[in-house]
Amino acid sequence: MSADQKKKGAVKFIFWTIISFGILVYAWHSYSSGQMVAWYYYQASVDGYAINAFSFKEATKENPAVLQVGAFEQIVNLQAVPVKAGDRLPINATGIISTKDLKEGKRVKLEGDTIKVMVPTEVKEAKGFKYKDTYKHKGIKTNPWSGAWNVGIVFALGIALGYMAEGFTDLFGLKLKKIEHYGH
Amino acid sequence: MFEFIIAGIEAPVFLLVLTGFTVGIVGGFIGVGGGYMVTPALIVFGFPGYMASGIDMTHIAGKSIVATVRHRQLGNIDWVLGLAMVGGTMLGVELGVRLLNYTKKLGLSGIVLLTCSVAIMLALFIYTQLETRKAHKKIEADAESGKAAGREVVVSKFPLFFQRIPLYPIVRCKTARLVISMWVIVVVGVITGILAGFLGVGGGFVRVPALIYVIGATTHIAVGTDLLEIAVSGGYGAMRHSMMGNVDMIAVLFMIIGAMVGAQFGSIATMYVRGPAIRYILSYSLVLATVGAALRLVYMLTGQQYEFLSFFAVVFTLGEMFFLCFFIMSLVIFSVRYRQGKTVPPWVPALVVKE
Repeated sequence: MSADQKKKGAVKFIFWTIISFGILVYAWHSYSSGQMVAWYYYQASVDGYAINAFSFKEATKENPAVLQVGAFEQIVNLQAVPVKAGDRLPINATGIISTKDLKEGKRVKLEGDTIKVMVPTEVKEAKGFKYKDTYKHKGIKTNPWSGAWNVGIVFALGIALGYMAEGFTDLFGLKLKKIEHYGH
Repeated sequence: MFEFIIAGIEAPVFLLVLTGFTVGIVGGFIGVGGGYMVTPALIVFGFPGYMASGIDMTHIAGKSIVATVRHRQLGNIDWVLGLAMVGGTMLGVELGVRLLNYTKKLGLSGIVLLTCSVAIMLALFIYTQLETRKAHKKIEADAESGKAAGREVVVSKFPLFFQRIPLYPIVRCKTARLVISMWVIVVVGVITGILAGFLGVGGGFVRVPALIYVIGATTHIAVGTDLLEIAVSGGYGAMRHSMMGNVDMIAVLFMIIGAMVGAQFGSIATMYVRGPAIRYILSYSLVLATVGAALRLVYMLTGQQYEFLSFFAVVFTLGEMFFLCFFIMSLVIFSVRYRQGKTVPPWVPALVVKE
């Protein structure tokens, strides 16, 4: 392979590495800043209380978690925010405890301005490796545009990583030729 | 351990990257998405079932793009064939999903799904295995009589039958060197799409044999073209899953990073082998997946009493990924040794190319 082709390979590798890195940094930033999560846990689809399901990770009937009800803009630890179907969810909300469940009072109970949660975030099913969410991801609607965003990111990253790898092999003089499908 | 906020679990990043890497190798080599291997693995790592399916489908879309870029460089993609099939595949996927919902309403989906999977995979395994063995013997016989064997040897007569169907419009697929009715391509897309939608997978394990034995493409072109199909159908599936909130993008990105490296190995490995070698690996992946699905089917039919069946099904599926990677890497190592004139097992020369 000529030095010129190796140089082209190096340029290709550097260019697509920068693009790949940019996409990864952007995705990481939107995830860690909560922007992506807010897109996902977007809107309430039932009447109830928005909660952060992680806050009652270890809750049981014997040792329930007590959530403070209030109109908080951001849910911090053991807090719950009343919402109606169609409302935008507060920051850090990952699910809804529905009014129906509270009326039943089997797993959650409304006591004045607190909610007593008697189940953990996730219940392991008795058999197999299956886990069941209790209130995480329940009663919520995701942003319809999140589908296009996710696919766009994945496609862009796939193309960038694909060309980056191609540039890498070119750079090291391994320019791969087309396979002779029909020759001997 | 990394906290996946959307999935709501903590899981080791290393395992996600490793899963992406191994499935990347297998997918890049035999042209499948590997959904039947990844979803159980993610469930074992603690992801809820709906998240495992969504993350798997989204990662498949990204990984297929990475592998498609490399297969394009290797000349393994027939764009006319691939794009002609896309419409049929999408229609088929939608019909398959509706069929699945119908069986769910009847309360049969789990058992029907597993029975279909086992039957289809077993039938494909038997046919692929028999045909590939014949092709393998033909290459050996040709070598003994001093004839040089090409990169591709297929002994099946089915493609000739389908290529003779005189239904207009007739399309010319330049890379695959095929002249075939557009309707055959579309119908193959619809049927494989229905199976993919119904079984909830990318459909590569059905589409690759269909491209070889029905359409008549060479194995290498079938692999490359199928990855293009998977990128499109996987993208559609990923969008639907994302809209339902079943995707934790950071888990997907970790897996794609692993898959990027694996897909390079898998795609480049196709350069070292003849078509029958790829078909052997495809058939072994089918029989291993069949055993996993059969164990799950027996587990369900026995009222979920015997927990060890479910456990073995998962262990088997995870072991399959490593076994196939090992097999592919062994083939490449043998091929390199053969090129260097070193000793190789007697079955190797017929399956690898010298240069």
